[in-house]
Amino acid sequence: MDTQSYFPVPPGVGMEENFLSLDDILLSHERLPIRTECTFPRLGFLEKSIPESPGTKMELPLWLTKGLYERKRKVVSVELPKVYKEGWRTVFNADPNVVDLHKMGPYYYGLGSQMLHFDSPENPEIAQTLLQTFIARFRRTMDSSQNAYNEDTSAFVERLDCLEKALFRSGQSGLNGFQSWEKGQASQLTASSLVLNYRKRKITDVQP
Amino acid sequence: MDASEVEFLAEKEMVKIIPNFSLDKVFLIGGDLGPFNPGLPIDVPVWLALNLKQRQKCRIIPPEWMDVEKLEEMRDLERKEDMFTPVPSPYYMELTKLLLNHASDNIPKADEIRTLVKDIWDTRIAKLRLSADSFISQQEAYAKLDNLTLMEINTIRAFLLDTLNCMYKLRSNLQ
Repeated sequence: MDTQSYFPVPPGVGMEENFLSLDDILLSHERLPIRTECTFPRLGFLEKSIPESPGTKMELPLWLTKGLYERKRKVVSVELPKVYKEGWRTVFNADPNVVDLHKMGPYYYGLGSQMLHFDSPENPEIAQTLLQTFIARFRRTMDSSQNAYNEDTSAFVERLDCLEKALFRSGQSGLNGFQSWEKGQASQLTASSLVLNYRKRKITDVQP
Repeated sequence: MDASEVEFLAEKEMVKIIPNFSLDKVFLIGGDLGPFNPGLPIDVPVWLALNLKQRQKCRIIPPEWMDVEKLEEMRDLERKEDMFTPVPSPYYMELTKLLLNHASDNIPKADEIRTLVKDIWDTRIAKLRLSADSFISQQEAYAKLDNLTLMEINTIRAFLLDTLNCMYKLRSNLQ
């Protein structure tokens, strides 16, 4: 049986993040280019390029930016990273399948959804592009996850975003479960992977 | 759900056997199993049939649909139709595997039957993937799932539900 004993908290896709999800924690470390709108007095020790005057450009991680962002009191204003700007959006609309999403930042969908918090005027287009890219790439992911049994899929998987990788894995597990059942391996008892690591002596090794 | 669990559910189906022992009526929780007389055919659940076969106490008669001509017709019909055709039995894949593994000596042309059933399965799975793809790419709200068996649904369930979840959340970004 394939039941897991450890259920990791999945990332919250969309505008909410799951507090306990490791993927979301790693996602919030991505750096965003921002422009400061007011001074940060005496905070120059935090980062070498920190300004004392407003209107300087620098890069802050997402978690800090989300905390500092406020619509009314303009502390920081966020620029869109390259991948979500007009140029790349047309590339995605043309043919999403050729793009190497892992290189564009391994959390393309996650970061894109978080960017929608920052009230940029291009928000509807960004959301639409995210959705369309996802739908277009879905076909490839489904085909390769459901058909590649016992094959080396690393060349395909490395071009996938983290979200798509999780989908790929669940597709593979469905396929592997069915194939192992068909071969009759499902009813064979095998040592659990957790126990194998203990390296206990087996009875066949002890007996002379 | 595991493939093994679906197989467990499949073992409740009835199949005809010819016992070589005699036994009075047995009263089980699930129902009564009629008196066994040697040489007279009787309907029993698959789990009992397999157990008796392994102890060499019966002979299993293949179900009516497990016949080369009928399966060939079904395979050709499946290939012609776009939608899913009615299945020979809601558990055809599991029954084929169980009966052919344990009782292939009682079933004529076992290998051909195995190949035909695999062909039918492959065609249906391909249709299922096509319809899942069109379901997602056109963002439809519901899909009709006539004549799908539990095993087929089981292989695609985890993947499809995760994808639909992601799509739903990405769509809620639009608001």
